[in-house]
Amino acid sequence: MAVTAVHQLAQCITCHAWSADRSMVALCPNNSEVHIYRLVEDKWEKMHVLQKHDQLISGIDWSARSNKIVTASHDRNSYVWNLEGSEWVPTLVILRLNRAALCVQWSPKENKFAVGSGAKTVCICYYEQENNWWVSKLIRKRHDSSVTSVSWHPDNILVASTSTDGKCRIFSTFIKGVDAKDPKKESRFGELIVQLDLSPSWTFGVKWSPSGNTLAYVGHNSVIYFVDDVGPSPLAQNVVFRDLPLRDVLFVSEKMVIGVGYDCIPMVFAADERGIWSFIRYLGERKAVSSGSRYGSQFSEAFGKFYGQAKQGVSNDASETSRTRGVVHENCINSIIPLSRQGTQIRRFSTSGLDGKLVMWDLETEQDLLELLVH
Amino acid sequence: MARAGSFVEADNAEAIITRIEHKSRKIESLLKQYKPVEALKTALEGTYAMTGDERCKSAHWIAVHRALMAIKDVDGMLSSLDPEYYDILMKYLYRGLATGDRPTCDQCLRIHEKLTEKAGLGCILRFLTDTVNTV
Repeated sequence: MAVTAVHQLAQCITCHAWSADRSMVALCPNNSEVHIYRLVEDKWEKMHVLQKHDQLISGIDWSARSNKIVTASHDRNSYVWNLEGSEWVPTLVILRLNRAALCVQWSPKENKFAVGSGAKTVCICYYEQENNWWVSKLIRKRHDSSVTSVSWHPDNILVASTSTDGKCRIFSTFIKGVDAKDPKKESRFGELIVQLDLSPSWTFGVKWSPSGNTLAYVGHNSVIYFVDDVGPSPLAQNVVFRDLPLRDVLFVSEKMVIGVGYDCIPMVFAADERGIWSFIRYLGERKAVSSGSRYGSQFSEAFGKFYGQAKQGVSNDASETSRTRGVVHENCINSIIPLSRQGTQIRRFSTSGLDGKLVMWDLETEQDLLELLVH
Repeated sequence: MARAGSFVEADNAEAIITRIEHKSRKIESLLKQYKPVEALKTALEGTYAMTGDERCKSAHWIAVHRALMAIKDVDGMLSSLDPEYYDILMKYLYRGLATGDRPTCDQCLRIHEKLTEKAGLGCILRFLTDTVNTV
């Protein structure tokens, strides 16, 4: 089985992030606090509780090298937490937002971080040495609606953002004094490089591939979009799938993506030699389940009423369904974070969801997927 | 393959109506030959290229409705239908369900059940979220 561990850490987890050595995890249990847990001999011990935000924390990111935690919250603020001795000390970052912050991510070089917000803006924050504080620069233009997720390109300059207006946009975040000037790429801060209008519905979960050549994001219409050669003439592909929409994706290699969402089981997508992406299978069940047992008891009842006939054995269905599908998460999975990297490939990752479970997955046991990863 | 670029700019409404009428005649002849599945396929083909104003949409719906009501073997029809037509068929099914007319609703509900089994909940979601290409 691809699942290596299941931990019930809270009633509901909004987001989580791992420390560099993967010994500690910071998560938000659907309130205004960040709980940091450490795995001590098979048991999770709550090491720290970071209380500073007033409202739900919508995004946490833990930088690997500089060991800083950045949190973004619905209270329109963001804090950067530094470990001093055994205490985490917060530094307020004035984002200048008038709406909730929805997502946050450290840049690859960890000198900047991007925050997406409900104020239709993306804030890029960088550290100003002279004044010893974090300054926020806003990318105000072009977004028509809330920015649901942000992702940094490996070059530390480009940021992709998805929004509830259905579009994915790529901006340059070149900041004089922070970024080295690249003679090849002329870019001003906030310049819109590409706007991808592929989805008629809300978009979430944008991620770049390890090389930065491919972009993937999901739409609320149960479609996942892959864009190759992002630039003036991108090649876009829509992969339509049969089930409920996804919320987040992760590139485990240049050619394989794992998507997680409302179906509670990760989905694997891969590109073949021609570069055509398609759905491979679910993680956590070996063969495709027949459509009859696909839905849990709630769905069966609803469908029963809709079609005007009682579906037989409703209670039998429910228990059988969980067993045959090997369902680990019981509710929507809303984030997927890499755990270990081997070169540019990720073999282990963790997912957290609205059911409060943190699940660790390992692809080593999935032989057929390993073959696709390596090619 | 991006949806945004794939449908051709609509000609003026008259040209579209003419094309739909042409399609309707083809559908009628197929129905007379007892080929309801072919008729439905013809009805669903090229829908996106023929979007226009409300008149065009109504004309198109009438043609699709005619073909839908003639289907007796739903399983057979779905197994021979190309998966790329599932989404557009789902949209027409919901339009049928919205009419409130008893025979239409019965037929649409019957097809809806089988189509959901085949195409999954994603198909329904694509109908719900697509506010741009409505039928």
